[in-house]
Amino acid sequence: MQMRKGFTMKDLNLMVAGPQGSGINFTSDTFSKVMARLGYYVFSNAELFSTIKGEHSYFRVRVSDELIRSYSKRVDILIALDSKSIILHKDEVDNNGFIITEEKPLDSRFIQVEYNKILQNVANKYNKNLSELSVMKNTIALAVVGKIASIPKDAIQKVISENFAKRPNIAELNNAVVDETYSITKIERSITLPKGKSFGKMLINTAEAVAIGKIAAGLRFQSYYPITPASDESQYLEGVMSKYNVIVEQTEDEIAAINMAIAAANTGLRAATSTSGPGFSLMVEALSYAGMTETPVVIFYYQRAGPSTGMPTRHEQGDLKFAISAGHGEFPRIVIAPGDHEEAFYDAFESFNLAEKYQLPVIVMLDKSMAMSNYTIPKFDTSKLKIDRGKLILEGEVSNYKRYAFTEDGISPRTVPGVKNGMFTIAGDEHEEDGHIFSEDPDNRIRMMDKRMGKLKKVLSEIPTDMKYKFYGNGENLIISWGSPKGAILDAIRERPEYSYLQIRLLHPFPVDEVKPFAKYKRIVTVEQNYSGQLADILKEDAGIDVNSRIVKFNGRPIAFEELIEGLDRSKTERRVVLTYA
Amino acid sequence: MPNTYRTNVEIDWCPGCGDFGILNALTLALQELKIPNEKVALTGGIGCSSKIPHYVNVYAYHTLHGRSLAQAQAIKIANPELEVIAAAGDGDALGIGTQHFVAAGRRNVDLTYLIFDNGVYGLTKGQASPTLPYGESPKSLQVENIKDPVNPIFLALASGYTFVARSYSYNIKHLKDTIIRAIKHKGLALVDIMQPCVTYNNINTKEYYDARLYDLQKEGWDPVAKNEDEYKQKLGQATIKSLEWGDKIPMGVFIEYQKETYDERLSRLLMNYKSKNFVTLPIHENGKPVNDITPLIEELI
Ligand SMILES: Cc1ncc(C[n+]2csc(CCOP(=O)(O)OP(=O)(O)O)c2C)c(N)n1
Ligand SMILES: [Mg+2]
Repeated sequence: MQMRKGFTMKDLNLMVAGPQGSGINFTSDTFSKVMARLGYYVFSNAELFSTIKGEHSYFRVRVSDELIRSYSKRVDILIALDSKSIILHKDEVDNNGFIITEEKPLDSRFIQVEYNKILQNVANKYNKNLSELSVMKNTIALAVVGKIASIPKDAIQKVISENFAKRPNIAELNNAVVDETYSITKIERSITLPKGKSFGKMLINTAEAVAIGKIAAGLRFQSYYPITPASDESQYLEGVMSKYNVIVEQTEDEIAAINMAIAAANTGLRAATSTSGPGFSLMVEALSYAGMTETPVVIFYYQRAGPSTGMPTRHEQGDLKFAISAGHGEFPRIVIAPGDHEEAFYDAFESFNLAEKYQLPVIVMLDKSMAMSNYTIPKFDTSKLKIDRGKLILEGEVSNYKRYAFTEDGISPRTVPGVKNGMFTIAGDEHEEDGHIFSEDPDNRIRMMDKRMGKLKKVLSEIPTDMKYKFYGNGENLIISWGSPKGAILDAIRERPEYSYLQIRLLHPFPVDEVKPFAKYKRIVTVEQNYSGQLADILKEDAGIDVNSRIVKFNGRPIAFEELIEGLDRSKTERRVVLTYA
Repeated sequence: MPNTYRTNVEIDWCPGCGDFGILNALTLALQELKIPNEKVALTGGIGCSSKIPHYVNVYAYHTLHGRSLAQAQAIKIANPELEVIAAAGDGDALGIGTQHFVAAGRRNVDLTYLIFDNGVYGLTKGQASPTLPYGESPKSLQVENIKDPVNPIFLALASGYTFVARSYSYNIKHLKDTIIRAIKHKGLALVDIMQPCVTYNNINTKEYYDARLYDLQKEGWDPVAKNEDEYKQKLGQATIKSLEWGDKIPMGVFIEYQKETYDERLSRLLMNYKSKNFVTLPIHENGKPVNDITPLIEELI
């Protein structure tokens, strides 16, 4: 194999692999932070097993001085923390790449690191037992990467000190390990990246983006029952609940979670719950109730691979049709799908406005790949955020009040307990304007159905265009997609500019009028992470667009942009393209 | 004095239904306590019994089958200034909603839980409910009841309810006084109300209960526990009393123990929870969000 000695590359791809629970996320998280601080764009994602300790898992970090939004198949540096990681991943590592390991080198890519010697030296210096330092192997690996990639040592040490701000002794030991690694590890080849020039960006995942969006929106009540990959968001909220006055309630199950959120909403708080497929399944009866009772509740739906318990820590977008149709009877709802962390923030914020303005349940579609990928995005712009609580009456007195009064615009004023003479009757049975249920009058039924279902039309005519869809590129062919494939699609169409990209953001009510004109594109393909191509079905059903090819991926792993490029090429001749990279 | 706690909605319970007594006792209790109508939230599940929110002139939440207690807790958590009362059928409370029944004991939210206990699923035409005694087969059953009953008193004691009582829909005075005591209790209060279903349950009738119910308090049982030791000791005795069923059935208060309520516990996690009402605490000024997320953003850079 011909090895290049030292070279400059456009993007650097690091993979950290090893047994779950051995702290490998420390290495990838710290590396990500260091590179973000140095002005690089960073994209990282995690592949974990649904166990806590032991099983093989890996993290990828892609770094570039240019904007990146997805991961690459190529691995430039592999940190293999056990021999299994070498066996599983060595073939993915580029011919000019590096494999950092404790074991005997198999070829010239290998760099054998003297973990124990480094730890022993530091232990001696600080009068510690070697066993106390053994967890710091991850730090050594990180420092070796730093040395290979010509990263200044102190950039790493600064981030480590911040990570352990509350435990300065640990920070000091780790930083001593970095010093020792830099000084004794011999590296014959190195990589240089062009200087980073994108400073001041956040390194964030969707769970954090959503949580922060909810806080900006004035969320006051969040209920949840733990489930991967949704609970990270609730746990983040728990961490800041006191500061931002958010009641976070861990419930006995998802039925309680949704019912509590509904009751809190009807008592005047901005209320939400976050869950994944199995939990959402349990919420469905109450979703229908929220539609019937005109309750502004927001559900954050973090999809994962189903059916049933499926692959709990793996990715899928298999619940689109479920989310837009779940629940008995016909009632209005809004389903929106952000495609990246920035949109996740703004959509989380806006979802509460929509819920309160139209008095209906809103579902925000997210997924595992968004929840478990950290990447750099610009700071959120809070200057344009505007809270609109619709026709909510929180205080004072009213007269002749009727909760479900027929009004010109179809939305009734909404009181909450405490408002004098504002006593409401909320009922999931068909009701009259005053909320009472006893007449079952057929004409009233028609008016009430019209009142509720009429909101969908109103939503379609009032929601801003970029919440309905976004459009990118100027190719004569068209990719239509929704949600998280966005990053890979944007990275792929840079290489295949003959494709434009239509990102559908509002999935229900479906923006038929806006989408129909796109039928004129020469060739149309959909990209989705599910088996059947659910959006493709909806396009046909609702907009009459019969796509030329459905590109799907359902092996539980997100899409790498290179495989999408190959997929686009194949879609010229194949009606269904299954992506399989793992 | 007119009863200002009744709506003028026509009641659709069967003539003679035990539910009427509960409605009367509840509204009399509210009247006596003089709680402003707009400060009361009343929830119901689904069933004959759970229609009661329509008949009481307060903030009324007619929820889903089994979810009355889940929603009631959230209402109280959302706004601790409210007086919250949850109504449920025995099917609601102990069939489809059992998980909430048990979980609520762990929170001790300060609210009153009224179970309309008639031994049958009234609204679905008289199938066996979870409290129907083994071997009892009211006329509405197609087949013999071969299941053992759940004991609501026993289960509430085991789940940590801090006020547990049984009362009777045809003894309005006892029921009203028990509801008042339950409302005044700070913490989760259960009143399991014997409520004959005149249409489907021809066994657990007025005559049945009139002959059997006796008043625990008249027999000298003092349910009040003043400290944890006393609570543990009385809990044991109350549990034994809860098992009495047959020729003599005890009613009255089994246990009453004042301990930390959920809003007190929550105020340990939320520094402003005690001093501010989260419903009226503004989230925006002219649309501009009140919460400043800058520190959260800075942490990510
Ligand atoms: C999820 C669900 N399952 C079943 C029903 C049908 N259902 C309506 S009321 C009821 C039982 C009511 O019995 P109970 O709670 O004891 O109240 P009661 O009518 O006896 O007062 C049932 C099973 C329902 N509404 N929802
Ligand atoms: Mg019943």
